[in-house]
Amino acid sequence: MFHRILIANRGEIALRILRACRTLGVEAVVAYSEADRESLPVQLADEAICIGPADAKRSYLSAPALISAAVLTGCDAVHPGYGFLSEDEGFAEVVRAHDLTFVGPPPEVLDRFASKEGTRRLLGAHGLPTIPGSDGMLRDDGHALDEADRIGYPVLIKPSAGGGGKGMRMVRTPRELESAIKVCRSEAKAAFGDDSLYLEKWLDDNRHVEVQVAVDRFGRGVHLGERDCSVQRRHQKILEEAPTPALGRAAREDLAERAVRAVVATGYENVGTLEFLVDREGNPYFIEINCRIQVEHPVTEMLTGVDLVALQLRIAAGEPLGLSQADIQLRGHAIEFRINAEDPAHDFRPGAGIVGQYHAPGGPGVRMDSHLYPGYEVPPFYDSLLGKLVVWGPDRETAIARSRAALDELLVEGLTTNIEIHKALLANPAFLEGHMTTNLLDRVGSGAFLAAAARA
Amino acid sequence: MPEPRDAKPHASTRRPAERDADLAGIDALIDRLVPALTAKLASTHLGELEVRDREWRIRLRRPPGAGWNGELRRAGDRATDRGPRGAAGHESHGHGRAGAPSDVHRLPVPGGSNGTGTVASPGATAGTGLASASSLAASAGHPSRPAHEDAGRRVATSPAVGVFRPGPRAAVGTRVREGDALGHVDVLGVPEEVPAPANGMVAELLVEGGTAVEYGQELVLVALSSPVEVGRP
Repeated sequence: MFHRILIANRGEIALRILRACRTLGVEAVVAYSEADRESLPVQLADEAICIGPADAKRSYLSAPALISAAVLTGCDAVHPGYGFLSEDEGFAEVVRAHDLTFVGPPPEVLDRFASKEGTRRLLGAHGLPTIPGSDGMLRDDGHALDEADRIGYPVLIKPSAGGGGKGMRMVRTPRELESAIKVCRSEAKAAFGDDSLYLEKWLDDNRHVEVQVAVDRFGRGVHLGERDCSVQRRHQKILEEAPTPALGRAAREDLAERAVRAVVATGYENVGTLEFLVDREGNPYFIEINCRIQVEHPVTEMLTGVDLVALQLRIAAGEPLGLSQADIQLRGHAIEFRINAEDPAHDFRPGAGIVGQYHAPGGPGVRMDSHLYPGYEVPPFYDSLLGKLVVWGPDRETAIARSRAALDELLVEGLTTNIEIHKALLANPAFLEGHMTTNLLDRVGSGAFLAAAARA
Repeated sequence: MPEPRDAKPHASTRRPAERDADLAGIDALIDRLVPALTAKLASTHLGELEVRDREWRIRLRRPPGAGWNGELRRAGDRATDRGPRGAAGHESHGHGRAGAPSDVHRLPVPGGSNGTGTVASPGATAGTGLASASSLAASAGHPSRPAHEDAGRRVATSPAVGVFRPGPRAAVGTRVREGDALGHVDVLGVPEEVPAPANGMVAELLVEGGTAVEYGQELVLVALSSPVEVGRP
């Protein structure tokens, strides 16, 4: 195991990593920007070192600053957390070049999974279903119509060189396809200088389901079940739960087993998450892999009792997994609520400011991962995540009942938070029946959600 | 069962008492005492051994250490206890978490005479236990302004995390113009210049060459030039 770790992150995840270090008897050095001088992880760390100004580009995203800090403080490993440099293979490479260990997949593994398209092909070849699409680029209108027929409407026209939604169109009929394809070609040509297009099946009302895996250096891997992250606002997850209400037990196990087989076969290492879209019929389609610890990892910890950050550290230190699939028992139901400094009444405008009173709820199955304390000033420079309320119950109903009580008990004064949207979700029939889809909140509108909850 | 009378009350009253004293003294310390103390320590203990976290917790406090609670989170008053990486054969023996000594840390000073430099100690992080508890209460809202600055003095702070290498212009008594290089901070072999903050005269080197410094740490004190120069040293 490592002797001393540099935590190259901030906020609740820095605190989470610090706690894992404590349980493993590893010293923790927190690298912080000037804006985080007063933060809880800085104050609780065995040591803290200021690496730069508030601007993340010169602090949390600065490889020289972080590595210099790690070297000067005598660390032997760097934990990147999530976001920032957590999946940057260049950073992982430089960390290793300085005789430090990157807590995550080794750089060559990060490199192998760096391209989304390449990863889909790679894992698709190892048994994961991917979203059906055209066989290569569309040669002409005839080819496009044939391929769309084969895939089945609706289909999404996507530019090969694309990004940011430019040149993308969803079409439901051959007629729409014929007219849209010309527009897409000219848009793609104008935006990317390349008018090659391909087709992908459009999934209406999909759900987001992801599988947690852990693979050691010796190619031994386990899955730790899945999480449902369908409650999203503009593609940002706001609530996650497990097990997913979208799939039955057999389908969940099948998906998780296929996922872990595929990553072991392709040489993945450390903890990771495979994200899938699940259509209305319950068919999963692999979309991408996250080569890091995720925000919503506590959901899985509540179900399995496995400390995923400690596991991540042990794997990075070269230890064997020490777990077989039979050791992973998924018990009960867990829900995570992301508590953000956002104003639901004003288009979720992010906020900052000084925390007044702060009270974290408790009781059976209730966990609050947060770096808040009374008097803490939330800086405006980073993401708006204030903490994660994670609630476990022996079944979904109990978990929901405990969640209501916990959300009522949670007190964060001084900042506008999104707590009301969570309360509204727990009053919403679609959520209660387990029918949330990734587009539902945006389609209904957060305002309508809140209003409906107020009437109920 | 009677507790040994002198053990528990001793342990439970002594620490809070000290903490209370620290808290009561914080305001005064922040504005007046600590800058003077840290400057004093920096000048008298350069090349000396680092104060350790553990010593702080067990109250083996030297007078300058009294300022840590109040000054812990202020820019430039925090160094860190640096690790032994690169110092051949010198390995920290602290392995536990809180409570483990972070030991004396030495850094290599390429070209230095004895091969090691030591870390300036004024403001070394005592980031665990009691020190944290009181700094939580005491530190919120403090501006991160260099502690050594006043009407007549400006401080050059570290532009990066690295090892401080003062240049010829950092010698005490040297006249400098704003922007002059006082030296550099070596970041993994890449020098980052430390510019003079103002026109004036180098009054004090707050950190010895070869010392590991963090971003924003106070390095060199410059006494401002005034139209009529008086009191030349």
